[in-house]
Amino acid sequence: MFELLPPLNDHNLPWMDTIHPIVVHFVIAMGLISFVFDLIGVVFRKVQLFEVSFWNLLFATAAIFVAIIFGQVEAGLANPYGASSEILNLHSTIGWSLAGVLSLLSGWRYVIRSRDPQQLPLGFLGAGALLSALIVVQVTLGNQLIWVYGLHTVPVVEATRAGLV
Amino acid sequence: MTTLILAAAQAPFVADPPAIEQLAGELGPNGLPYSLPIHPNLVHLTIGLFVIAIAFDIAGALYPIEKRVFRFLALPITRAGFHDVGWYNLLACAVATFFTVAAGFFEMLLAQPIPGVTSTIGLQSMQTMLWHGVGGVAILLVIIAMTVWRGYQRFVWRRDMGRQVQWLYLLVGLGLFLVIGLHGTLGAELAGEFGVHVTADQLLAAGANLREALP
Repeated sequence: MFELLPPLNDHNLPWMDTIHPIVVHFVIAMGLISFVFDLIGVVFRKVQLFEVSFWNLLFATAAIFVAIIFGQVEAGLANPYGASSEILNLHSTIGWSLAGVLSLLSGWRYVIRSRDPQQLPLGFLGAGALLSALIVVQVTLGNQLIWVYGLHTVPVVEATRAGLV
Repeated sequence: MTTLILAAAQAPFVADPPAIEQLAGELGPNGLPYSLPIHPNLVHLTIGLFVIAIAFDIAGALYPIEKRVFRFLALPITRAGFHDVGWYNLLACAVATFFTVAAGFFEMLLAQPIPGVTSTIGLQSMQTMLWHGVGGVAILLVIIAMTVWRGYQRFVWRRDMGRQVQWLYLLVGLGLFLVIGLHGTLGAELAGEFGVHVTADQLLAAGANLREALP
């Protein structure tokens, strides 16, 4: 069955380079900016920004499912070692949870927007702050996987294949 | 005199000791004074915000075609709302990108790529860094110019029009997608192939055993 899979390159991937970190651009940037625009919208009564926030949140929600699909495939090929296994587990758990949190917030936001697009309850702002915090934690964990443990980088893949890690 | 200059030009450039040594005591195993690089994280903002800004302006421009789809989905939309996303996301992108480029230069000045590596697209580390550095400034310049251009379209030239952007603007935006894609590939190679600021790669290059150095 394994011979049906495409061959893996020196990043231990069937494609040129990791795709997950590219897809998460849209979860991170859109998730965080959605909260920032909500905050500015509430503080300066700039209700136009609520609509911008809504679309960014919706996009972050759509993007996280794509991010999870590539994340799971690339995590499966990552060969984590040492403490990075634990970090990868936590990153996966929070990742799936974030998909739930984002979907929930998108649904809630859709209802808020349908009722009165000019108003934003403070409760949603609080939820947005929590979402931002969760994103920051998740990004930090992902950062450790690449920048500390170098998963999917050529030198680490080489060392792993040589049985050195 | 001429021969002297020629001889100087032909002699290989050797920095001895390398200037980076002056900071050796300050830097961790990843070559930075902190454990996680900042530039790649700010890049999320630059790319995410720019791509979505253009995407929503395209959605605003094609509004007459797609409005039926949204009606079918029972998702109320306004054309002005789409263009608001296009404008505010681009504005946020322009602000964030100054920091992206600044952090990038700070971290690239501290970069110590693994020697003897040629990247997938066939460049060596110094070439990759030069292209990525100059490219970054060029992209910042284009983003700022596009933000000004977008502002003029929104507030002056097309203030009373339904479609807030010119087709040429969208085309330039799509063109920049390609440039950013190539540019991002160079950046990814700096980390994933040249091991710049990747702790594990730098430790391996220094001959360390990861089982002990990174348990």
